[in-house]
Amino acid sequence: MRANEDRSEALRSLRVATWLGWQVESNWADPFVFAIYSLVKPLAGALILVFMYAVIAKGGLQSSLFPGVFVGNALFIYVPAVLAGISWTIIEDREHYGMLKYVYTAPVNVLAYLVGRGVAKAMVATIAVVMMLLLGTLALGVPIRFGSINWPLALGSLALGSAMLAFFGILLAGVTLVTARHNYGVGEAVAGGLYLLCGVVFPLDTLPTWLSSIGRAIPITYWIEAWRRALLGQRAALFSGLSDGALVGVIAGSTVVVAVLAVLAFRLAERRARAKGLLDMQTMY
Amino acid sequence: MRSRSAWTVFWRTVVGRAYPRILGALREKSWVFFEILLPLLQVTAYVYIYRAIEAPPEFIGFVVLGGAMSAYWLNVLWGMASQLYWEKETGNLELYIVAPTSPMAILLGMALGGMFATTLRAVAVITIGMLLFHVSMTVQSVPVLLAVFVTTLVALYGLGMLLSSLFLLFGREAWHLSNLLQEPVSLVSGFYFPVRALGQVVAAAASILPITLGLDAMRQLLFPAMLEDLRLLPAGVELGILAGLAVLFLILARRALAYFEALARREGRLSVRGQ
Amino acid sequence: MSDSYAIRTEALGRVFRAKRREAKKQKREIVALDGVSFSVGRGELFGVLGPNGAGKTTTIKILATLLSPTSGRAWVAGVDVAADPKGVRRHIGMVSGGETSGYGLLTIEENLWMFSQFYGMDTRAAKARIKELLAVVGLSDRSRTKIYHLSTGMRQKMNFVRGFLTDPEILFLDEPTLGLDVQTARTLRGFVSNWLAEHRDRTILLTTHAMHEADELCGRVAIVDKGRILACDAPAVLKRGLQSEAIFRLRIADLADAHAAVAGRADVSRFAQAVHDEHIEVDLILSGDGALTDVLASLQAAGGRLLSLEKHEPTLEDVFLHVVGHGFEDAQREGGGA
Repeated sequence: MRANEDRSEALRSLRVATWLGWQVESNWADPFVFAIYSLVKPLAGALILVFMYAVIAKGGLQSSLFPGVFVGNALFIYVPAVLAGISWTIIEDREHYGMLKYVYTAPVNVLAYLVGRGVAKAMVATIAVVMMLLLGTLALGVPIRFGSINWPLALGSLALGSAMLAFFGILLAGVTLVTARHNYGVGEAVAGGLYLLCGVVFPLDTLPTWLSSIGRAIPITYWIEAWRRALLGQRAALFSGLSDGALVGVIAGSTVVVAVLAVLAFRLAERRARAKGLLDMQTMY
Repeated sequence: MRSRSAWTVFWRTVVGRAYPRILGALREKSWVFFEILLPLLQVTAYVYIYRAIEAPPEFIGFVVLGGAMSAYWLNVLWGMASQLYWEKETGNLELYIVAPTSPMAILLGMALGGMFATTLRAVAVITIGMLLFHVSMTVQSVPVLLAVFVTTLVALYGLGMLLSSLFLLFGREAWHLSNLLQEPVSLVSGFYFPVRALGQVVAAAASILPITLGLDAMRQLLFPAMLEDLRLLPAGVELGILAGLAVLFLILARRALAYFEALARREGRLSVRGQ
Repeated sequence: MSDSYAIRTEALGRVFRAKRREAKKQKREIVALDGVSFSVGRGELFGVLGPNGAGKTTTIKILATLLSPTSGRAWVAGVDVAADPKGVRRHIGMVSGGETSGYGLLTIEENLWMFSQFYGMDTRAAKARIKELLAVVGLSDRSRTKIYHLSTGMRQKMNFVRGFLTDPEILFLDEPTLGLDVQTARTLRGFVSNWLAEHRDRTILLTTHAMHEADELCGRVAIVDKGRILACDAPAVLKRGLQSEAIFRLRIADLADAHAAVAGRADVSRFAQAVHDEHIEVDLILSGDGALTDVLASLQAAGGRLLSLEKHEPTLEDVFLHVVGHGFEDAQREGGGA
């Protein structure tokens, strides 16, 4: 009985938070302006990489590295979107809208609420990822053949990866709960660090051994590798010994580990926030 | 209240508004991790991209310098321009408007107060970048370099004040505009590669952004071996244009702040919250 | 334009127009102020009383240069608010109820000092004044507390100090005791009264929907509803206009009928009686308060035992009900907004 209630509460929280997240994301502009905004931002970021290759790399966009890098960069759009979407919710609700205390005093499943608030950003990111891949295929010579895509691997790793990113977001939300609001969103800042460590835009073995070891301990690295295999049929030298099944297994296993750590860390942060009266603090300066 | 000269009020306002910025940074030190260490990792990513594609070694220096200067652009965008959005939401903006002081003084105070963290970030990126990646910089002329740096900042902060005027009238729309500007400006300003690579036309258009010319001039002064075909204009010419932009943006900012404040007063948007 | 008034408005109007996409199901135009004219002399504490949505805050925002009028004119300290808002700001301060301004990471003292700098105050003078005012509102021992640790009442006390810190000529108080407990509200009202008593050339415009507050503090009150001033005068005059005499309500035991005891008395101008099981309730209007002793003696002589005595004078709420035609709750039920 209690389990049913809890499940119903979680679903309700997820549903309402998803609706709310979409409103917050989109209702400041008419749909056309919103669509332009949603696409321009990630595309501009991707173009930095395109120009770096086009202008500087030997072989330009025909460089053997470019397709893998482009796909990695496209998929990576999800990372700041979900990490920031979830962790920034704490700042928004606490300091901007003054709502966090009401979320905590209502029968809301806070974890489901946070994930729901991140869903809208993930939806917008999905459109940007698809547009980027289309741009790469149609205009930049990235060899993605629709008929050759390994759909089970692509969709399976996307689903697992989404869950993994959501839990990472919850971990960062816990950090945000007990820290002040600074200029930089913690989700975007961490995404910046992951950009280096996860082999997104260069082969991981380009890094010094100690740094690439850190990268190999981060699940996102395997998630990006899975997509490169699914879309391009490419295998990074560093992971050549890992079969597709093993790769998915690593992603699944690490998602479970991240989930457990994230929930524990978030609960710890909540306890601290309650003890110190931080749930309605205002820290903007 | 005793009548005080406008300059006294202006400078006291600057100090008064800078104060919470500095205190906040000293009291809540978590920003050191998020605003210094992690951006450093992001710059490092671009360094390794260049290494992976076997770019000429001076490009590593370009990225390190670009990463350092991007700290100022981000401070302008998020620490100043869009800050008025937050001030409106917390009710501080009303009190700033009602006070007999200049909005430019408030904005300048925000900018100078944030300069502490920003400069620390920039210095960390350059220092660690130089040490880790063996970047070699040769300062051709310290006075000219300082002049370029200071003029770039003045022009950049003037642009920031101009942008911030939008926040008097708009709320989330302007915030999203700031969000939108972040990556495109990074692209066309040459944070990560010389802007000349984008072609003459795009480079010329991008020169309206002070950071574009400022970065190009600083690269010429710090990397004298920089190839001719990567330079936009001679550094001296760029300094002159930057000085002009500084004056232009400060004048425009003053007018825009007055205009948008009056418009916001007419439309009743100065104290609207929860946008 | 004469400088003799601190505040003057002439046919002040403000219309809010909704954006097209917001207006689909709602009115396109909201008339917040409709031809409001009043003046406030220097040294006056002037109240604006009305329910939510009456136009009180809109009036203050126009006078404080946060909002432009759509019609009419207003002057503060002789300066046109629309033509020269910067000129107005040198003369004014503002405190609103429920304010959340300030920076959570700073202490009370630091926040107040920061605001003093926006007015160009010398640091030493500002700190002395902060110390003095914090003592007056009872926050001296919390001056180093970060403001995100403050309760609502303490925060509002800090806001009060902020408003008075710069010693403005004209101060706007917009529902300043909103949401505060009785003790805190009383402390702040006392603070306001004392400040005005000590600074006879200062002017305050207070908006409130707390009748007793307006009655206690204000020299004159304007009653507003739906953007218009319906009555404007001293509270006592407004109440007298409704009913000039006080009603004495007596509860008397051991007396079946008080009529015989008081009938024919020249000092009793009106008499009403309600009989209850254990007592009777007698409402009397007397020629003067001094007649009460004799009337009580008559009732006692008739065998009555006085249980309680109340003096009932018309309140501002009675005036409001009479002038507006409904109470605050009714106004809110009709959909009065902010």
